[in-house]
This record gives sequence, structure tokens and C-alpha cells, in this order.
Amino acid sequence: VRRIGILFVACFCLAALTAHAAHTQAQLMLSADTARPGDTIWVGVDLKMEPAWHTYWKNPGAAGMATKIEWQLPPGITAGETQWPLPEKLPPAEVTTYGYNHEVVLLVPLKIAADLKPGPLLDLKAKVSWLECKEACIPAGTTVEAKLNIGRETKISTDAATIDLWKSKTPQTNDVYSLSAWWEKPANGDTRPLIIGNQPAMVAAKNVKYDSVDFFPDASDQFEIQAATEIISAYSADIRLRKLVKKYSGDWPKEVSGVFVTSVHGNPPQGIQVKFPISDKDPASEAVSRTGVAPVSNFSGQNMETGKMPVLPLMLLYAFIGGLILNIMPCVLPVIALKILGFINHGQHEPLRVRALGLVYTAGVLVSFLALAAVVIGVKAAGHHAGWGMQFGSPVFIVVLTTLVTLVSLNLFGVFEVNLGGQALSAAGQLASKQGAPGAFFNGLLATALATPCTAPFLAPALGFAFAQSSSLILLIFLFVGLGLAAPYVVLSWNPAWLKFLPKPGAWMEKFKIAMGFPMLATAVWLFNLAYDYYGKNVLWLGVFLVVVAFAAWIFGELFQRARARRGLALVIALILLIGGYAYALEDQLHWRTPMVIADATGSLQESPDGIHWQRWSPQAVTEARSEGRPVLVDFTADWCLTCQVNKKIAIEIPSVRQKLKELNAVALIGDYTHFPDDITAELNRYSRAGVPMVLVYPKDVDAQPIVLPEVLTPGIVLGALNRATKQ
Amino acid sequence: MIMKTAFALFAALTLASAALAVEVGKPAPDFTAQDINGKTIHLSDYKGKIVVLESYNSDCPFCHNQYKTGAMQAMQRDLTAKGVVWLLVNSVNPKNFSHRTPEQAKAEMAQEKMDVTAWIDDSSGAVGHLYDMKTTPDMYVIDKDGVLVYEGAIDNQPDPVHDPSKAQNYVNAAIDALLAGKTVAVAETKPYGCSVKYAD
Repeated sequence: VRRIGILFVACFCLAALTAHAAHTQAQLMLSADTARPGDTIWVGVDLKMEPAWHTYWKNPGAAGMATKIEWQLPPGITAGETQWPLPEKLPPAEVTTYGYNHEVVLLVPLKIAADLKPGPLLDLKAKVSWLECKEACIPAGTTVEAKLNIGRETKISTDAATIDLWKSKTPQTNDVYSLSAWWEKPANGDTRPLIIGNQPAMVAAKNVKYDSVDFFPDASDQFEIQAATEIISAYSADIRLRKLVKKYSGDWPKEVSGVFVTSVHGNPPQGIQVKFPISDKDPASEAVSRTGVAPVSNFSGQNMETGKMPVLPLMLLYAFIGGLILNIMPCVLPVIALKILGFINHGQHEPLRVRALGLVYTAGVLVSFLALAAVVIGVKAAGHHAGWGMQFGSPVFIVVLTTLVTLVSLNLFGVFEVNLGGQALSAAGQLASKQGAPGAFFNGLLATALATPCTAPFLAPALGFAFAQSSSLILLIFLFVGLGLAAPYVVLSWNPAWLKFLPKPGAWMEKFKIAMGFPMLATAVWLFNLAYDYYGKNVLWLGVFLVVVAFAAWIFGELFQRARARRGLALVIALILLIGGYAYALEDQLHWRTPMVIADATGSLQESPDGIHWQRWSPQAVTEARSEGRPVLVDFTADWCLTCQVNKKIAIEIPSVRQKLKELNAVALIGDYTHFPDDITAELNRYSRAGVPMVLVYPKDVDAQPIVLPEVLTPGIVLGALNRATKQ
Repeated sequence: MIMKTAFALFAALTLASAALAVEVGKPAPDFTAQDINGKTIHLSDYKGKIVVLESYNSDCPFCHNQYKTGAMQAMQRDLTAKGVVWLLVNSVNPKNFSHRTPEQAKAEMAQEKMDVTAWIDDSSGAVGHLYDMKTTPDMYVIDKDGVLVYEGAIDNQPDPVHDPSKAQNYVNAAIDALLAGKTVAVAETKPYGCSVKYAD
């Protein structure tokens, strides 16, 4: 029996080696039946594998072999580089390979010489060899052929759509993530950890969280980038993944290339062809100036280009002025200023001692600001990989800040109080009244402690800016706030005679406080205006929410803080208002965490004055436009769909397409799938799509079926479809 | 599921320890294994001799290409005649159809006219995992002092159809260097071939 077993195995091997494409069928397909001299057409090598069998990508990974194509082409036709659709990672984990299950179409551009004469049908032949594997592997191969006519006009073949579909599965070349790579650590023997990522971007661009990000490297003899990927952060604005590189010979690689892969549940994974040098360390540690610019451009809701003004000095100035103004803010001034002015007053006869005390006070302030900065840095470090940068990629930050600034102005108006408790203040008085250096130092600490709940104008933008910075810049900005806070005392301790210029505390302070509420209110309005960029007309609901918050604050201040009876009831009402306002206005109406710009039912939505004149999609809108004999372009998109945004940016909202739409008098409709409306789900199902992106082009001819564009678009695909839409 | 997780953890641990243990230029870790004749083999028994480890699966076209052309057998004959110990390691798991029982293995050895010191039955994958053998064929050369001096591909043609006699053979080159008292020029390459078909 065993002998038979061996015989069987031997036969199997023999059969396997001689079998032609036993488990894989190969054929050639052309994008055009007829091509003009000078054209470039696409040829697809279609490999259909039996279930459970697979073939390999250009980098097969730890085992396997890349499929090879050897062309035998008539003179005048030359084959370009093979384009490989995005492969899958195939198990087992310890020997991961990259390959294709079921089917793959490898794409090759064929250049037809301009001087080629139209004549008899040309034979295009390719010898294709591959390794097909299930549990075992079998090398196989065959010769495939197709015939091409050279004529005066290009005629698209019936396979063109299939080729387009597979072309959409090949990696894009445009690196929308600004990726780079750097060594995380020195080598440990033959292996070394490599980080691939981008610098956390604070631009207002949409920040998408991917279910997974990965990197499929190109093959190399010198080193191997191992298949296992450790995802550190999968947000589009803060991508970070760790790969182990194993070196076989030579130096550590200076450059890496491959495909960066992102996937979001329910969408096919997307690949981007990338190639970048490997730096020795994280570029973030060097690029202070770069990150120093970005967040402010975020803050003004514009793109990075406009952020080139010297932001840092301006922010340091804001920080200083903010600190200075803190002195006359109600929470600091009445208590501390007088005490310190006291020590200056008392010490008029000992100028040296007063100066020393002034410096000690400054030291106290600075030390406490350093501590604050350390807290911020610590929080930031802890939160970084959990997506700290995320808040800058989303308008959530602006909503929170608008609400906060509104509350501060209400506080200044006296609608409610922020009191850290009377005990703290009296304890402070006790300690600070001590004479000498400890008293002055403690005054410094206390001034800061009291200043923290009190936001002054200028301080908010400076601190908002600080939160997005590298550790050293956070320190610097906090120190400047501290310097601002301490400055008057240093100046006065140097020259106590100037005390006479200071206004005496009194009723004016209350008026001043209220007056300061207006600049804060102005800040709130400015922030509110920024929120418009994210929410469009829906920003109304943020306004409604702010009014509810204001009302709740008034109830809190008037009927809880200052009242004697039924205070509990007032607190409950204030809380109910807050929670209700939040749930209805922010969550239900504004969708504040997932903003989108919604066009109203009739209006158009233009991204810029010369942008496409988008209108909202509805089945009626399509019927109406077609009844007028106009072609229709429909873009089904969603806010969370990065492919949709990329499509729009590189293939739809571009001058050539705008021009074409105008020329054809076409109607452009946008269907927003961000919140899964049923009518769009139905429309997607109609075209057997599980989700967006889906772009349709309806021809002029009312009876013709719409052209369904591939998921990943190029300008050529869109323009081609629009052309076809008017020809038919 | 728990078993699978536990195994994955175990495999990860063994792999991790293997990654620490097996490194070119470092002593090759000792192992104890059974050959197809039931003989117990310790790597340390061969101290003082050059040892070649070959991860093997004849159903793998990359291995088969070396054998069907007779190149592998010629190399085994040539090297064992020079006193080199050649240990063939078959780590294919018993459930895979490429697995060979000792009887089948003996028959295959005779049929293929292999000339190896021993065929190690590593169905458990212990030796394969210890040496982090990735593919079949994945080759290892250990010098007389027990130091690993070469790891990786058998030659520079990672496909199952070439003529091995015309390829640049890294194992031969490494052993020639050792015998001539020189350092091995190419000490590490990326192994190519089929996955090993470890148990899972």
C-alpha cells in the first residue's frame, strides 16, 4: 500500500509538472480591438485560479514566485512595465506571502509606434509563467495571444470595462498622505525596526480612521521588509506603522519602496505606490518650524499655504500680553496684586531687597508655569498615539473652544462666577502675607494657580496654539505667559516710584471686567465663523446650543450660586438644559462630530467660484435633467470615504472636468452618503455596489443605461465617460 | 480557538527565541531529533565537522527542481565525500499530503538517490522553528566550531525552472571558503521557495 502511495505522489508530481495551467486559466484581453498608430492601449493578462489556489504578486513575500510575462510582439509594438493590482496577504503568518485568489488581471501598457501602417491583424503573444499554490505549489505556464487591428480610429473592446475595473485596483501614484520612513532604533543584529508614517497634520483636512493600514514592500535581494505590521496609529492625519527590516547583505537600505495600503470596513483596500528615503530619525524631532506653522493655518480654517506668516513670534507676543492682562483679571487682581504691591510698598527703603523679591516672585510664577507646561506635555505624550492630533483634524476642537470662550465671556459679564472656593483664597492670604522670599515665591505660585481658571483675551489663541506644538515650544509659550504675568511686578520692583501710575483698586474693576467680556465675545464670534466652514448653514445649531448654554449658565449663576432656596432644582434645570441642548442641537441636528457641508434642497454647492455647480442628488433631479436632454454626472460620496475625497480632488473637481461639464451643458449632482440615507442605499444596490464611492454618468440619450465608473478615478476615466455620454 | 491562540503564542515564543538563537556568526543552537531510521541525532555530535542543514519537501517545485536535475544529489555526494555532514530536515506536518512517513521517506531517498548523512523526521516542526526555516529549500552551513556561517537560499535563481548547475550556489561557495580557511563572502541571503507547511 505504501508503495502505491509513493507511486501516487510521484505521479502527482509528474502530472503537476507537465500540466498546463492545471488550476489556473490564462488569457489575454485588450482594451481596444482597433488602435491608431501612436496610441497606447492596455493589455490584461487574466489569470483565473480555481477556488483555494493562488498566484503571486511582484514581491511574492517569504515564499512563492512572481508571475512572469515574456512578450513576443510584432515590430512597432512595445510593452511597458506591468501594473500589479493590489494583492492580499496570504497566511500562514510566519511565512506570509503576497498574492491573488480567484482572479487577477495584470495590466501592461502597449505602445503602438506612430509610424506603424494599418494592415493585417497583428498577433500579440506572451509567454506567461507562474507558480500556483494551494497546499502545494505547482509551476505552470502557457502562451496566450490576442489579435489587434491597426486602423484610423480607436475602437474600444468589450474587455475595456474589465480592464478599467482592474486598473482601478492598481495602486495610485499620488501620495496624499505625505508619507516618509525613518529608523526607529539602531539595529539589533540583522534586524532593525522601521517606522513608516507622516507628520501629524493639523490641517483642516478630513481625518479618517482606517480599520487597518499596511505596507507591502517591493522585493529586494539585499534586505527583506517583513510582512508583520504593527499599527501604531491609523488616522489619516497621523499614520504610523512599524515594520521589521531584516538585512541579508550590504549596508542598511537608504530607500524603501512599495505600496501603502489602507482599508476601511466595507470598502476594498486602497493602495498607493510610494518610494521614499529612510531617515535616521523621526523627522518630527527636527521639523519644529514646519509644525509651528500648520496649526495656525488650521485655526484660521485655511490651508497650509497661508500659514507662512511668522506665527511663532506673534503667538509668543500673544502669550506675553495674555499673561500681562491676567494681572487685571478679576480672579488674580484683587487678591494677589495688592499683596505684592504691598511688599513693594513696604520695601521702598530697601530697593535691593525689593528687586530680589520681585525676581523671586517671577521665579515662583515661572516654576508654576513650567509645571503646567509639563502637565500639558505629559497629557500630550500620553494621548499622542491615541489620537491627540485628531482634534485638530476635526472641527470638534472649534466647537468646544467656541463654547468655552462663550462661557468665559458670560463669566466676565457676571452671569455666573468661577470660584475656586473661599478657603483657597484665605489660605493664600495667610501664606502670602509672610514676609521675605518664601512669601514672594509662594505669591508667584498662587498667582498662577488663581490665573488658570481665568482666561484672558489673547491667551486662548496662544494656548490653543501651544497645545499643538512640540514639547519645547509648549514650554516656551507657557514661559511667556508667566513672564507676562510677572512683568508688572518686576518693573515695579525695579522702580517702585511708578506705583503712583497704577490705578487704585475699586469699583472700576468690576466695570473693567465686564468690558473685557466683549473682546471674549468677539473671539467667540470669530470661532463661530470658523465652524461655518465645517457645518455650512447647519452652524445655526451651534448658535442655538450656545444660547442654551448661556441660559443654563444664567440659571446656574442666578438661581444656584446666588440663590438661597431651591438651589438643587436650579442646578438640575441647568444640567437638563445643557444635556438636552447638547443632545438635540449638537448631536441630533449638527452632527458635530461628523460634520459635512449640506447643500439645501434647491441651492447649489460650489467649492470655489469657478468650481463645479453641484446640486443635490435625487432620482427626480436625474429624470428632470435627462428630460432636458442633458448628460448627468452623479457623485455619490461620503465624508468618511477617503477614496471619494481623493477622487474628487484628482479626477472630478479639476479644471478639465469643469470645462467639459460646461461644454456638454451637463448637470452635476452630489449624493451625500455620510449618514446612509435610504434612497442612496437603494441606488447603490441597484448597481451592485456595497458603498461609496460610486460615480455615474448618464448619457444624453434618455434610454441609455448610465455608465458606472470604477471606484478609483483618474481624470481620463471621467473625461472618457463624459465623452461617451454625449456620443451615444 | 483557544488551542489555536495558545499555539500561535507558542509559535511566536519559539520564533522569538529562535530569532535570538539563530544568527549568522553566532553558535548554531544544538538540537536533538530522530532520523527516519529511528536514530537519535544531536547536532553537537558533529562538532569538528562542517554541517549542512537543508529544509526539504520534494513536492515543493523549488526543491524538486534541484533534485530532478540531479544537482542536489551531486552536491551531497561531493560534499559528504569531503567529510561534510548533510542533515536533511523535513518539517512538513503529518496532515499535509506532502508528509512522508519514515517508510515513504526511505523509499524516496533511495528513488531520488540522495546522499545525505541523515533525513531528520521533524513533523513537529521543532528543528524548523528553532532555526526559523522559512522555506523549502532553506539552507544552513555550520562550521567546525559550531558557528553558523551561512543561512538562506541555495542559489541566486529564485525560481523552480532554472538549471542549478548554471546558478551561483551559495552553499558550495560557503563550504569552499571554509575548506580554504577563508571567511564566507555571502553569509546571508533571502531564502526562496515554498512555505514549510508546519503544523498549525
